[in-house]
Amino acid sequence: MRCFCFVMLLLFTAPLSGCLETLEPITADEEGQCAVLDAGRTSDGVLRILTYDIAAFSDEMISTFTNQTGYDVEMIRVDDSGGILEQLLQTQQAQQADLAIGLDNTYLQTALNFCLLQPHELNLTGLSETALEPYDGPNAVPFDRGDVCLNYDESRVDGTNLTEPTSLWNLTEPAWEGQTVFPSPVTSSPGRAFMSATVDYFENDEDNTTDAFDWWKAMAENGAIFTSGWTEAYEIHYSGGYGAWVEGHLGDAALTVSYCHSPGVEAFYGENWTQSTSLTLERSTFHQVEYAGIINGGTELEAANAFIAYLLSEEVNRNMPENNLMQSVLDNATWPETNGYAYHTDSPSLNAEITNERIAEEMEGWISDWKTATQ
Amino acid sequence: MSIEWKARFAGVPLIHWLAVIFVIGLGLFPITLALVRLWAVTGITPLEALISVNEQPGAMDAFRFSLFEATVSTGLTVVIGLPLAWAFGRYQWRNIRLKRALLFLPFVTPPVVAAVGFLALISPGGVLYNIGFDLRSESGVVGWLAAKTGWEHPGHFIALVTAHVWFNLSLMIRFVEPVVAQVNPVWEEQLALLPSGQTRLGRIQHLWRPVLGPATLVAATYTFFFSFTSFALVKWLAPSSNTMESLLGEIGGTAGIPGYRTETSLAVLAIATFQMLLMLVMLILAGRFERRHSQVLSMHHETMNRERHGPASRRWVLFVNGILVLLLAPLATVVLSSFRVRTVNGAGVSSDWTLEGWRRAWNGDFSTTPLLEALTNSLSYAFVSLLVALPLGYAVASSLVTLRQRGHQRAAGVLDSLCMLPLSMSAVMVGLGMVAGILQWFPQMFSFPYLPAVPHIMLVLPFVIRLMVPAIERIDPVYGEQASLLPMGKVGFWWHTRGAFLVVPATMAASLCLAFSMGEFGATFLVVRVGSWDSLSILVDQVASRPKFDPYVFPTAMALATILMVVTLLVLSINESARAWRSRHDV
Repeated sequence: MRCFCFVMLLLFTAPLSGCLETLEPITADEEGQCAVLDAGRTSDGVLRILTYDIAAFSDEMISTFTNQTGYDVEMIRVDDSGGILEQLLQTQQAQQADLAIGLDNTYLQTALNFCLLQPHELNLTGLSETALEPYDGPNAVPFDRGDVCLNYDESRVDGTNLTEPTSLWNLTEPAWEGQTVFPSPVTSSPGRAFMSATVDYFENDEDNTTDAFDWWKAMAENGAIFTSGWTEAYEIHYSGGYGAWVEGHLGDAALTVSYCHSPGVEAFYGENWTQSTSLTLERSTFHQVEYAGIINGGTELEAANAFIAYLLSEEVNRNMPENNLMQSVLDNATWPETNGYAYHTDSPSLNAEITNERIAEEMEGWISDWKTATQ
Repeated sequence: MSIEWKARFAGVPLIHWLAVIFVIGLGLFPITLALVRLWAVTGITPLEALISVNEQPGAMDAFRFSLFEATVSTGLTVVIGLPLAWAFGRYQWRNIRLKRALLFLPFVTPPVVAAVGFLALISPGGVLYNIGFDLRSESGVVGWLAAKTGWEHPGHFIALVTAHVWFNLSLMIRFVEPVVAQVNPVWEEQLALLPSGQTRLGRIQHLWRPVLGPATLVAATYTFFFSFTSFALVKWLAPSSNTMESLLGEIGGTAGIPGYRTETSLAVLAIATFQMLLMLVMLILAGRFERRHSQVLSMHHETMNRERHGPASRRWVLFVNGILVLLLAPLATVVLSSFRVRTVNGAGVSSDWTLEGWRRAWNGDFSTTPLLEALTNSLSYAFVSLLVALPLGYAVASSLVTLRQRGHQRAAGVLDSLCMLPLSMSAVMVGLGMVAGILQWFPQMFSFPYLPAVPHIMLVLPFVIRLMVPAIERIDPVYGEQASLLPMGKVGFWWHTRGAFLVVPATMAASLCLAFSMGEFGATFLVVRVGSWDSLSILVDQVASRPKFDPYVFPTAMALATILMVVTLLVLSINESARAWRSRHDV
């Protein structure tokens, strides 16, 4: 028996002898340049797109692209924007997809630092300057955008029970105890965007003795609910949104993080009726842009370029508000008037001003501070 | 090499030994690679990480919650399941096969379907909500309980525990019912003549406790194990809490990436090691109980026993049928919800009947994988799992039986435990092994189209072995001795001495394999992040998780869940046909 155990031990530990040598990630050199990596798989004529569950990519939309260009498309879906970055990092040595769609500006710089994207070959025109503000380099192209901001339930924030906050500090007052829900910046893209906005907000307020994490600590002490994702926060806990009519709804929070146009979307599907509205305090909102980028190590590069061009075409991108519930990145983009979509959508007066580079540099530290503050 | 060494291998063909090594390797390799990978990324050994487990955010809360809910779930399952199994095994029942299939149904229902079924049951408009039991928003009695005790979310806890009991009741039936049905009536008669057999308590103490104890403990151990490692049910029914399993699922995606979120890799390393050790202890306990249990089985003919006790009393009929109705309620709710849509406008809420959810599910209007593709994926993985797991499971079971028959009990015990390892790792750990382990060092596997079948095979193999071992043990060696005197080839000899006797258990194992693979969620949930292999259970989760600004999202998810449920039921019906065939032919 001992002999058998010894053989088994040898059998299973011998192959691991070389495994403890850490695999070094590929990163940009000191000048920020990245080598173009070899293709991670053999070309088979199928464009593989790494994305999350983006509603705009319907069968019909993909079929039209295939009919127009002749390229077949296969989707590799992950949970969210963060999942795309993780997938790209995990498969960096042998990328299996050609095009990443859905990285937002809180993740983009990290992807660039790790040389996960390579330059496209498109001549881009007609994109709005606002969409190009966070990044206008060759490695990623914006395809939709929206402003992340606080949403509240007007039926509860009625001036009597709760009053509309004029400062984020108002939310730490006793009246708001247990009435707020936030998606975690560790696992949620809107949560990450909003936390970044709070950093800028508290750096620019009148009080120099406190920072964003003091506020997060005070929020946690005031019974704020933290969820892993946007869906749990908005659908299960937030009382002002569609969740009220969905199985499993709790409705214990009057305020949450979503988009400034979420009330517009509520009205669009609710026959011009919603009890949700957005709170656009200066610098508490975050201009989120989502990008398409050709993967460094991708195989079907021509097809990937063609898909980006298709994604930015008038026929697809102009319809983003209806098909993807986000704003188009084309010049002169507007929200639809149907069912009060535009009427219930607010525009922030001043978004948080925080660069992609700073986000990439400091995000891990912020997340660590956020965890400490909210524990 | 000693003579003893040779003798230990003599009875087991080399190919079976290779199967044993392959199965153990399949279980050990990914998780070992994952642990070593996490070690390399963090620079911290699993042992050091284990010591720091209490410092990992959420780990201790998750541990306490897992322990508490698993203990309560196990207790309740035993309290409800034991009388159910006793009554079901003791008396004659009409449509016993149908009832047995229905009692077994929850165990093979994909957890994600069960979760959405329970959600529909406890949400406004659901049966429980309508009778004033608000487990979701925790108003009324449940709210009062929360306010009085200071217990956070008792409603979510009750919903989760109820779902676990619903899920695991079939384990009690599976393990305890055959013992009750086959217990030798002479024992009862003899005990009735003794002073200690004159009272109910005395009969429980001197007959039923020693006879049913081991089987009950085995079922309880597995119930505890499945509740402790619960994933999909926790995700949906107790959103404010985490088991260690769901916590690992939440953070596992970022683990094992060099230079990126190292603290997450450390947390995964610590929690995974801790959970694995815990489960290992559970596994050893379960193995010990199961070995004791296997000595009690096959004592008397079941049909004669049932005839002796006659039909059940009205009280027992009500109890068993009542449980059956309760077991079917969440599944019926899933079907109903696929035809209902809630709409809202300034005038208020309305609820209408609709086929739109089914239309969208069929047409794949959403950006997710089309229904037929997801169904094809699910069935492909299930059949690949079956084709690999069944012969492998047979070879391993055959080896274990041979070793036991030749007196190598200890070696058989060790190998048996090693083969059960994937069960101890739980689905998310297996998935993590795939993502952070094999795929990190062998990225070529990314292009392997049946990749999700690999963790499925790992997870179903222990069940196949568990079914095959007793079936092979029951074969009388006299058949082999007699067949060896007849002129027949190797294949013919194998068929007449073994194969023919294993048709039914093999069919049952096949059905279990298919159903288990169809509904598997945890491992696929992680593996699916690194490939385009959405199965039907993942599709249900994807659609159900989508923002529901559009009111037809939920009916669509329910329609998909219904399809998954029906397909799984079809597979299960094959299983019950095999049992029926066995009853008719009594092989």
